[in-house]
Amino acid sequence: MFFNTLFRPIFAAALLLLAAIPGVIGAPPESVDLLFVAASDAALQPLVQRLSEPQTERIATWTLWTGKIAGKSVVLARSEGDPLNAVAATTLAIRHHPPRLIFIFGTARAHDPSLHAGDAVVSASFVAFDGIESPRAEIGEGSHPLNWGVLPHLLMTPGEKEVAVDSFPADAIARELALALKPPHGRIVAGVLGSAYQTNREADRVAWIREHFHTSCEDTESAHVAGCAALLGVPAIGVRVIDGTEADAAALALQFAEAWK
Amino acid sequence: MKTLVTLLLLFLALAARAAEPVDILVQGAEKLEVEDLVASLGPKPEKLAIGPFSFWVGRIGPHRVAISLTGQALIDCTAATVIAIEEFHPRLIVYQGTSGAQAPYLSLHDIIVGRRSIDYGNMITPVRGAGAGSDALAWTPVPQQLRDPATGQLVAYPHGFAGDAAALDVALRTRNPMGRVFAGVIGSAHEVNLELDRVRWSRETFGMDVEEMESAHVAAIAHAFGIRYISFRVVSDAPYEGVPFYPLAARATGLFTINFLHNLPPLSTH
Repeated sequence: MFFNTLFRPIFAAALLLLAAIPGVIGAPPESVDLLFVAASDAALQPLVQRLSEPQTERIATWTLWTGKIAGKSVVLARSEGDPLNAVAATTLAIRHHPPRLIFIFGTARAHDPSLHAGDAVVSASFVAFDGIESPRAEIGEGSHPLNWGVLPHLLMTPGEKEVAVDSFPADAIARELALALKPPHGRIVAGVLGSAYQTNREADRVAWIREHFHTSCEDTESAHVAGCAALLGVPAIGVRVIDGTEADAAALALQFAEAWK
Repeated sequence: MKTLVTLLLLFLALAARAAEPVDILVQGAEKLEVEDLVASLGPKPEKLAIGPFSFWVGRIGPHRVAISLTGQALIDCTAATVIAIEEFHPRLIVYQGTSGAQAPYLSLHDIIVGRRSIDYGNMITPVRGAGAGSDALAWTPVPQQLRDPATGQLVAYPHGFAGDAAALDVALRTRNPMGRVFAGVIGSAHEVNLELDRVRWSRETFGMDVEEMESAHVAAIAHAFGIRYISFRVVSDAPYEGVPFYPLAARATGLFTINFLHNLPPLSTH
């Protein structure tokens, strides 16, 4: 009673005052069950349409959609299909709505010749294959990408220590669940999701990437989202449909939302 | 009463954990690149750990600054910058550190002030069959894109992101204690390029003076948030001269940045 009559108004006013000062108090982070990350509106719209209690947040140039799907609290983030936007949107989503799991989905091009159009690859792990170091060559000696070496990614850890990593992990429990999903047009297999902001159409380079990074397929941002997840301590899983449509990938994301406990 | 105490404690905890805004966020990827800057804050600067990242807060010249150790390359520096912007609300971001020369006129310890910063690692290859090889000099660059919140459309930045004009002017009048200072173009990718034909191609294609791994990514994030941005990169390796990576060159850019912060007038609040 004492609190209600005297301190509640003071407390509320003080919070409002502090909230009005930039950097003092933002909205308290609201945790969610799942963060879904995909490149485009085409991939996200089937999920947006399924949101109950939908809300939209805009932070700088990025948009987050929140609500519920299949009874789970979710946030949706658009990666724009490149590593920079993907990491920025993922960081913002994690800070504003800390998720229990990140689900990354979309399409990909095959590196593994045994994959066929419509097959869905579930991340056994993720690898960002954009790190390279070329050996020294003089003017006139050309450029030889098939002779380049691998430059590992470094992740910052508390205590100002950077750790070199060859790949980023996928959550084991989520992986088992994802391997039970039913792709509309193909098989579902485990593999290494490789990412770089590149479209590789030279057969010899694709073979070189596969040999050095062990990639099953390539897309433009899955591994960077997974790297961001590892950096900020959130489990992640990815599913990519080979030469598929965004709708095929979204269908798998919705299946996962139904199955996830 | 218990509820009241709990709520007041919550109130105090919220107030205590919040970071105070700063004028300038100064970033570097490696410890050597922020060491002199942190030392310039005094013997016991305020230190904050946010997630995996460390920040040191204090004053340099007339400015309240947060110094950020971002770690290397896109994932680390992008996450660190987004977090720092949300925590410290800087009005100017300075990224500084080492780089590889992409132009023959540059020598060890010269500093490039970023007239613009560009992501040069994105590309589409032509179609080539098995056995036809791979030709990096025939790849087509793909520019970084950002969505324009006003129109909702993605906008490409094929020339990268411009450095803040006022900060650029001050930087070009600032002393580098170890070498020369030039305005130039800074290229960023997770690459170390030592093939001189590709180095020359990068310079011809993007106008790059130096290559490193963070500036253009941070420039894009600053642009997205509408925050002024400038980058300084000291030459730490010069493939045309056969100079291998010399990490201690980082000291030049740290000391240069301290001089810059002393020369830079207090930032307008408008």
